[in-house]
Amino acid sequence: MIRGIRVELLKLRTVRASYGLLAAAVGLTAVFSIIESERAGTNNMPPLSTAAGVNNIITGGVWSLMFAAALGATLASGEFRHATATGTYLVTPNRSRVLAAKAIAAVIAGSVFGLFGWATSTAIGLGFVAADGYANPIGAGTLARYAAGHVVAAALLSAIGAALGSLIRAQLPVVIGIFVWSIVIESILGDLFNGLQPYLPYTAASTLAGTSLGSAAFGPAHSAGTTASPLPFAAAAALLAAIALAVSVIAARTTVRRDIS
Amino acid sequence: MAIIEATGLTKRYGHTVAVDHLSFAVEAGQVVGFLGPNGAGKTTTLRMLLGLVLPDQGSASVDGRPYVALPSPACQVGAVLEASSCHPGRTARNHLRVHALAAGLDPTRVEDVLGLVGLASAADQRAGTFSLGMRQRLGLASALLADPDVLILDEPANGLDPEGVRWLRDLIRGLAADGAAVLVSSHLLAEVAQTVDDVIIINSGRLVAHSPINELTAGAALEDVFLGLTGRDAPREVPS
Repeated sequence: MIRGIRVELLKLRTVRASYGLLAAAVGLTAVFSIIESERAGTNNMPPLSTAAGVNNIITGGVWSLMFAAALGATLASGEFRHATATGTYLVTPNRSRVLAAKAIAAVIAGSVFGLFGWATSTAIGLGFVAADGYANPIGAGTLARYAAGHVVAAALLSAIGAALGSLIRAQLPVVIGIFVWSIVIESILGDLFNGLQPYLPYTAASTLAGTSLGSAAFGPAHSAGTTASPLPFAAAAALLAAIALAVSVIAARTTVRRDIS
Repeated sequence: MAIIEATGLTKRYGHTVAVDHLSFAVEAGQVVGFLGPNGAGKTTTLRMLLGLVLPDQGSASVDGRPYVALPSPACQVGAVLEASSCHPGRTARNHLRVHALAAGLDPTRVEDVLGLVGLASAADQRAGTFSLGMRQRLGLASALLADPDVLILDEPANGLDPEGVRWLRDLIRGLAADGAAVLVSSHLLAEVAQTVDDVIIINSGRLVAHSPINELTAGAALEDVFLGLTGRDAPREVPS
C-alpha cells in the first residue's frame, strides 16, 4: 500500500496541473483575503482590530478546500481522461487497492492545499492588522485551530474528490460539479433548509476551517441569518470522513469493477 | 508448455458477441501473430487476457494463472495496448518512473529502457509533444521495464518508421530466442509474415485459423490467405 501511495503522489508531482491547481487556490485565496482586508471596518464589516474582522479574512482560505477536492477528482478521473488507467491496472490489478492508494494520496496532497490556503489568508490578514497598527486580536491557539481545520477539511474534501473521480470518471464534469456544488448548490440548499446547512459537506468543511456558518457561501446563504449551529470540529471531520468512505465504497463496488476498454 | 492460454473466451456487449468461445495457446519461445479484421475482437481478447475486461464465459491465464492472480504481473508480463496511454503533461522519463515505482523495479531500469527504445534524447520531453511513433516506443519501454517473459502487444508497429519496424522485429525475435512468449496483433501482414512463428486468425470473434505460418500460407502471400479466410477476398465496389 505504501508503494501505491508513493506512486500516486509521484503522479501528482510530475504533472503541471497539480501545481496549477495549487497556484489557483493560493491566488484566489490571496485576492479574496486582500479584498476582505480592504473592506474591513466599512459597510458594517467588523474592523481588523476585532477577532471577527480577522476571522473574515481567514475565511478566504476556504478556496483551497474546493481546489483540494478538484485535485482529488483529477487524480482519479485523469486516469480515464488520459487512458492511463490501463497501465495503472496492468501493474496493480487489485483495483480497490489502487482506489485506496489514491484516496490516501489525495488526503496528503489535499492537506498541503489546506495548509497553503490557511498560510496565505492568515499572512495577508495579519499583515493588514499590523499595517493598520492593531494588535493581533486572535490568539495563537485559535490560529492553530484554524490551521488544523484547513488541513483536515482540505484533506477530507480531497479524498471525497478522489472517490467522486473514481465513481464518475469524466474529469471535466466532476471538477465543474465540485465548484458548482460548493459555490451554488450548497448555498441554495443552505438557504432553503436552514437545519440541513451544517451537514452540507462544503459548509461543514468551511466551518471546520474556522468560518462562521454560511459565510463561506457565495449565493443566497452568504451571511444570511441562520438558526442552525455549526457542527463541532470532531463531528464535522467525522461527517466528511464518512462521506469520503461512503463514496469510495460505492465506487469500489460499482465503477471500479467495470471493464477498462 | 502453454504460457498464454485462452479457453472458451466469450464476451458480449448487449446483443453483439465480440468474442465467441475463443481458445488458443502460446508457448514459451514462440512469437504468435494475432490477426483479424477491424472489429474482429482482437483488442477485447487481449484485454481479457490481461484482466482489464471480464469475460462472460471462459477463462484466460498467463503462466497458469489469471493475470490478476499473478504474484507480480508487471514483472511477468509486458503489454502494449494503446500508444496514447500516457499523461500528455508527463515527461517520458517520469512516465517510466511511475511505472517502475509501481512495479517495484530498480529506477535505473528507466534509463536502460529509454536507451533501448531510442528515446534517451527525448526523455525530458512531455509525452503530449510526441509523434505516434514516439508514443509507441514509450509504450514499448513501459512493457520492457521489467524484462518480462511474456509480451502481449496490440498493434505495436503503428506509427513506427521503417527503421522502427525493423528494430521492433529484431527485438521481438530476440526476446523469443531468449524464451519469451510473444502474442502480437497487427494489420501489417507483410511484417507479421517476417516476424511470427504461428498465426491465429479470428473473424467476428471466432477462431478461423491457428497454425504455423508456413503451413498456413504454403507459399502463398499471408495477405491472400488472410483475406480468403476472413471472407474479404472479393473485390470491393468503389463508390463512383
